[in-house]
Amino acid sequence: MSAWTRFLERRSRAALAAGCIVLSLATGFTDYLTGTLISFSAFYLAPVSLAAWFVGTVFGLFIAALCVTVWVLGNLIAGDANFANPFLIAWNGSIQLASFSVVVVVLGQLRILTRDLERRVRERAAALTKEIAERERLQKLLLQASEKEQRRIGQDLHDGLGQHLAGTAIAGQVLRDKLERRSLDEAGDAAKVVQLIEEGVSLTRRSAKGLYPVDMQAEGLMLALDEFALTTTRLFDVNCRFLCESPVLVHSATAAEHLFRIAQEATRNAIQHGAARNIDIELNTLEEGHELRIADDGKGLPSMLPANGGLGLRIMAQRAQTVGADFQVMARPEGGTVVTCRLPVTIEEKMAS
Amino acid sequence: MSTRTSTVFLVDDHPLVREWLTTLINQLPDLRVCGEAAGADKAFEGMRASAPDIAIVDLALPEGSGLALVKKITSELPQIAVVVLSMHDERYYAERAFRAGARGYVMKGESTSSIAAAIRDVLGGKLYVSPRMQSVFSKRFGEDDLRNLHAPVKKLSDRELEVFRLLGQGYETRRVAESLNVSIKTVQAYCARIKEKLQLANASELLREAIRWNDAQSAG
Repeated sequence: MSAWTRFLERRSRAALAAGCIVLSLATGFTDYLTGTLISFSAFYLAPVSLAAWFVGTVFGLFIAALCVTVWVLGNLIAGDANFANPFLIAWNGSIQLASFSVVVVVLGQLRILTRDLERRVRERAAALTKEIAERERLQKLLLQASEKEQRRIGQDLHDGLGQHLAGTAIAGQVLRDKLERRSLDEAGDAAKVVQLIEEGVSLTRRSAKGLYPVDMQAEGLMLALDEFALTTTRLFDVNCRFLCESPVLVHSATAAEHLFRIAQEATRNAIQHGAARNIDIELNTLEEGHELRIADDGKGLPSMLPANGGLGLRIMAQRAQTVGADFQVMARPEGGTVVTCRLPVTIEEKMAS
Repeated sequence: MSTRTSTVFLVDDHPLVREWLTTLINQLPDLRVCGEAAGADKAFEGMRASAPDIAIVDLALPEGSGLALVKKITSELPQIAVVVLSMHDERYYAERAFRAGARGYVMKGESTSSIAAAIRDVLGGKLYVSPRMQSVFSKRFGEDDLRNLHAPVKKLSDRELEVFRLLGQGYETRRVAESLNVSIKTVQAYCARIKEKLQLANASELLREAIRWNDAQSAG
């Protein structure tokens, strides 16, 4: 049915109009041939409906009139008793014309409704597509904004608070030296204060690093992952290794930062949800691009993800998508999870330039 | 005391750091601060005018990088010894600073008490790094001369040396493979052997070592 409709929709209006006229005449001729005893009037509905649906209401009415004319003429020639005088001709003809016209008008209205519905469906679909694109764009912006904010706080910590504390430590050292020159015991206390301030600097440095881990230089990702593996091993009592066979330079700072965050999130998942003991973070050069791989020996992915749909996983996937990388999370046959992220070298070069 | 007073020039964009560093240095009998600046350009001008014996330079400066300033000082005002005093991690920056010509590296807020020692060591013609970095450096280059950079490389085969040289020129694995017409896997195997021979812990160390060696080659 719909195949026929589509076929007819594609024809030109002139061809369809001609077809309707031919069909009307053919129906009239067949009606004449079959004689007056067999009612044939319903078959005229075919050209009338086609004309009304595919060409238009006005042309539909024209075909209705044509059909009635042909029908009346046929019956007259055949000598039908129903058309014995002009009144009968006018009456029967009008009745037939009226019923055809009703069909034409109803089909016309139906046509308008259908078209309208189709149009609205198309518009809605377009609006939805736009909305989805807009939402993705917003998600990306949100991620970028929060990263920018983190970076800003990180830099403020490093360059503002860190430097202030460093200056304070020097001031403390001045005090210590003065006290020592006067051979006062308090020099020891002052040295202790300097040490405490230095611990503050060290804490500040560490926090800043957590917020803004990847140095802008191309080898920054290697350094950041190396440092991250060391810190993770120390802080969480796990064996976290960074494996990198040969230098991998990521020239796009954005790509580097996203890859780092993916490694960070995957490692956090492995420790918090997977109770992993060993985590290997690998950064490698493959023929087609850079590959970041985080493999752990934990419990693996839960068969049912939590209600928030594994927000961490979604964000990792989103990050990978942002930089045009391929992202995969899989269970390892020997237990545990492996997260793989592949960044095609062509995309990375484009981002960096 | 007849010891001559040595002059010190401070370059740091933090007023608090400059102020207290000045106090710290001026209370030492043999040292005196002769000038200070917050930015690289003013610093260079100031140093040319005051001709200090030693400069203490921060790596993070608002205009121009501290490393570039260190290079400029050592090439154009070679009589001035440079000590870097920076928030940056010495594990990543000490080598770069030394490559740029610095003779000392002190991490800000790590070992405040050793600032004076660093200045005196460098004025005495020695190099200064923290004890932690000293062990890292000596493991790799031998105790005496941090700039004796060529020796370990002799252990490499011709092909390994070629890979090492290309890495030092900033080629990454893929491009090394392309220019030597071998597979990436092969380059990775070479890298593994180089790391082993030069006792480098990881690929970043390999890269830095290669760059450093390359710089030294082209300089020498």
